[in-house]
Amino acid sequence: MVRIAICGVASCLMLGPAVAQRQAIPEITQEQPDSRTVLGVGNEYLAAGAEALRIKEYDEGIRLTKIGLERPTSPRDRAAALSNLCAAHAAKNQPDLAIDYCNQSIEINDSNWHAFSNRAYAYYLKRMFDQADADLDVALSLNPNARQMPQIRGMMNERRLRGRVTVEEHQ
Amino acid sequence: MWLRRVAAAFPIAFLACAGQSASAAGAIDPVGTWSCVVWGHPEFGDERVLFNFAPGGVARLAHIEAEAIPAWSGLTPWVKEDREMRFSDPRTGRQFTADLRRDNLGGSWRTLTATGGWWCSQSDIEAIPETSEARAAALPPILPLVTATPRYPIQAIRQAKQGRVVTCFLVNSAGLIVEPEIIELSDEIFREPILVALNRSRYEPRESDTLRPSCRSYTFSLDRLAQSEIEIE
Repeated sequence: MVRIAICGVASCLMLGPAVAQRQAIPEITQEQPDSRTVLGVGNEYLAAGAEALRIKEYDEGIRLTKIGLERPTSPRDRAAALSNLCAAHAAKNQPDLAIDYCNQSIEINDSNWHAFSNRAYAYYLKRMFDQADADLDVALSLNPNARQMPQIRGMMNERRLRGRVTVEEHQ
Repeated sequence: MWLRRVAAAFPIAFLACAGQSASAAGAIDPVGTWSCVVWGHPEFGDERVLFNFAPGGVARLAHIEAEAIPAWSGLTPWVKEDREMRFSDPRTGRQFTADLRRDNLGGSWRTLTATGGWWCSQSDIEAIPETSEARAAALPPILPLVTATPRYPIQAIRQAKQGRVVTCFLVNSAGLIVEPEIIELSDEIFREPILVALNRSRYEPRESDTLRPSCRSYTFSLDRLAQSEIEIE
């Protein structure tokens, strides 16, 4: 059950950049209302890698994305691809690798909420809830409407909070 | 959806809690003698009292356990406005109100600094016994046999929701809870576990066939686990 939930969130985390890569046709870079990024010049490997990740073919997605990163690409696309690698490794339960890729992504582009959200999930996997909280706050400030952040925070609360019910009888 | 599931599982509890529908058409007539529990701030403690409301507005109170003489003490005249009843106890400063659309007589009370509630069942006692022993014997306390603790809803934990619920109900001679009503509900998310817990709770059976009032407060709180505790889990 928990496993399903984790995978569900992980795949959600990748959806934004993944879809963005598949739409890498238009020449003009612009922000969509739902925060998906329509990228500029296409990079077939990045697009294919994102698609593989979308269908949870993580190893293949990682392989293709890494090939794509060896080719010339815009900083924005590079940051999105690194964020995808971060999400893929988080989904493979490799939080240290994931955090490293997210750090690289954020260093290039610190306004991509996906990267912060992905890193928050990786921190969650490492039980580093304070760091995860901080990243979720940044991600929320960049995109208040994303549904991934409440999901991750809910998963953290499930781990770190214990419910207590006190009953008082009156008669 | 869950409401339907609860309704199917506990029809009596659900009907009673679903919105005071049984007496919504009319209003409870408070005239008569009522066996009541008055609860609230811990400093006051819980009290078992008898309220007597005469048709002309005269209201009286008798403590079951105290050795007060005379047995009955005067309250301010009770008044009914629309479907709300009001009266007060000059000795304690408590101002009582009751929503007469409920299935049972009861409601809330407040002073300048404290609030609480009260809940009643109709009583057949007219003459208060003179001695405290006789009074206690006339209305012995109802003893919990099984007090089921509600589960903390996982969704509430995920959303970091804490809250409080107060429910009042009657206990029949078999020790079963009947006609529970939610008096205070900080969040709808806590309703279902409360109804389930009440359905699983029991009191000791009594010989008397009169219904007895009782109330319960539930506090839902969250403790943040230390990092080491999280690792263990």
